[in-house]
Amino acid sequence: MKKDELPELLNELTQLTTEQVDPTLAEAIKNRIPWSLLRQRGGIHTISIIIDLRVGKLAAAAVIILAMILCAHFFSSRDWKSDGIFQNGKMIAKYLLSGKYPAAESTPVARSRYYYLREQGKEAVYYGDVIDPKDPNAILIHWKLRKGRYKVLFADLTTKTVTAEQLISLQARMLQNKAE
Amino acid sequence: MDDGQLEQKHDWLVDQLKLGSRAAAAELVDIYYEQIYLFMRRLGHTRQVSEDLTQESFLQAWKYINQIRHGRALRSWMYRIAANVSKLYWRKHYIRKTVNIEDVELPDCDDGQNCTIERREQLDRLGKAVVRLPIKLRQSIVLHYMQHLTISEAAQAADIAEGTFKSRLSRALTALRKEIAVKA
Repeated sequence: MKKDELPELLNELTQLTTEQVDPTLAEAIKNRIPWSLLRQRGGIHTISIIIDLRVGKLAAAAVIILAMILCAHFFSSRDWKSDGIFQNGKMIAKYLLSGKYPAAESTPVARSRYYYLREQGKEAVYYGDVIDPKDPNAILIHWKLRKGRYKVLFADLTTKTVTAEQLISLQARMLQNKAE
Repeated sequence: MDDGQLEQKHDWLVDQLKLGSRAAAAELVDIYYEQIYLFMRRLGHTRQVSEDLTQESFLQAWKYINQIRHGRALRSWMYRIAANVSKLYWRKHYIRKTVNIEDVELPDCDDGQNCTIERREQLDRLGKAVVRLPIKLRQSIVLHYMQHLTISEAAQAADIAEGTFKSRLSRALTALRKEIAVKA
């Protein structure tokens, strides 16, 4: 067989095997076109819009986090008119700029955490109103765990699990620092 | 319609599809349902299965409508989906992977066709040889020689590099030549 003959034969075979397609097939497919062709992907779309606006990645991240906080406030039972949103927003902005959580700004977060723990039925104690919030080692909240252990949340928002004795010594140190 | 106009139309169609237009989706069906059905038939599926797989291909197309970039790629994108749907079907029904040769009887020639007995036998042998090819080689032959996709489009549809596609095509042609020569 010549080299060019096979493509020619294949072409002829194609013509011979071209069959009439059932015209109802097209209608059957069209009937299955979904009402909404595009799937809703809110998060991705939000990010795309923000990136399209040529906003820096850091600013975009801040906007998304703020939007999430706003949503959380709207859909939670908390009073959204309080300055909690503003404080949280300010704190996030500072965190994004410095990379560290400022101890002085941690009180609203700790208070939210405290309310959450109380709602969960945990034995939590809140010190936010009495401590020096600028002291990163100050205890903001402690709550009881099993087997006589306690979880402590410090002003720099780090946590530590301690025994009852260690908790007492931490409290004593905190009071001493405040007195000084 | 020349290539430029066709490309423009496809660009417009893709834009409309991305906006979620159902009318554009219906137009896509009108343009491609016959091609996809015949593609399935030439890959060796039965009539009923080909219809089902054509429908399935379009359902997949609606699902991944956001992945398509521009009108130029529309044709190869549709074939790529169809090829994947066919591949998944073969995988699920691996027992029936080999096509029954008796099913591949060619229709009689029309009066207008140049159809000598010898030529007719040659075409019969070729038809049977095509369906006997391994799936990947058969797909290459069908995409390029029977569905008339360019090498570049066919390679995209098969989801392989152009070089790999050319190599597959060459292997397929060699296998077909051997098969026909042996029978002759």
